[in-house]
Amino acid sequence: MDGFEDRETGAQAEFEEQLRQAMERRPAPPSLRQKVMDHRQQRKAERSRLRLIWMERIAATIVLAAVLSGAFLWRSTVQRRKGEAARQQVFTALRIASRALDQMNRQLNRNNREDQ
Amino acid sequence: MARDWQPDFEQLFEEHQSMVFSLVFRMTADRGLAEEIAQDVFLELDRNLAKIDNPLHARHWLRRVAMNRSADALRRRKVRGVDLWVELDENHGVQEEDRGSPLAARLERLLCSLPEPHRAALVLRYQEDLTPEEIASVLDAPLATVKSNLQRGLKLLRAKAEGHLTEFVRTRARGVSIDGRL
Repeated sequence: MDGFEDRETGAQAEFEEQLRQAMERRPAPPSLRQKVMDHRQQRKAERSRLRLIWMERIAATIVLAAVLSGAFLWRSTVQRRKGEAARQQVFTALRIASRALDQMNRQLNRNNREDQ
Repeated sequence: MARDWQPDFEQLFEEHQSMVFSLVFRMTADRGLAEEIAQDVFLELDRNLAKIDNPLHARHWLRRVAMNRSADALRRRKVRGVDLWVELDENHGVQEEDRGSPLAARLERLLCSLPEPHRAALVLRYQEDLTPEEIASVLDAPLATVKSNLQRGLKLLRAKAEGHLTEFVRTRARGVSIDGRL
């Protein structure tokens, strides 16, 4: 019985050895390297093209934002100046009105004194 | 923590192209498909290069992805209803120039007729010389399943090989006796 088991184990080991030999790694086809490197190159080019597009988009967004904020600032500056000028005009008008009222008041006082 | 090892794609490709191609070829039994899948595996590696920590990790990663992709391809083929073994015989199987000894070629051919889980375990065991624990890690399968697949696969393959060998010897003997009569 032991003899049979020994033979069986030996045969199994021999079979496994044959299998190991049969399953040696095969060389990859030469075209594989070329294909992989070509695809890699293509993908790199595509990636840098996409990066460029994104950078262009970002640059365009920054320029647009700068233009819009510039326009907004310019508009608010103009409005502030207009408001300032209008305030000055109102003050001038008030000063003129006040002077006229003073004159009128003085005239009325003088007339009152003459009547008395 | 800074890494000492910087992955170099071309070096990794040179080192592992034969391993990846052989794994995929033995799983799919189709040279064209194997080349296509091996290409995908390396392109995937290129995409994930930053995640690779060391050479051992790279090898493990490549084995794992190669086996997964092969399984996917076999599944797709099954869904498409293509008979792998007919295709194997007709087109892409073990080609003459690939063959070493006739026995090795026969064993390789018989290996292709095993169920996929058995074949995967045997390829990793005898091509890559992995332990059952390492195979379980590559295939993401329980150790007990891997051990059982190895055992059953080996038994099945041996039975097929013995049957074919007897047939082979009988055919040759018949050929010799016919030649002798002539």
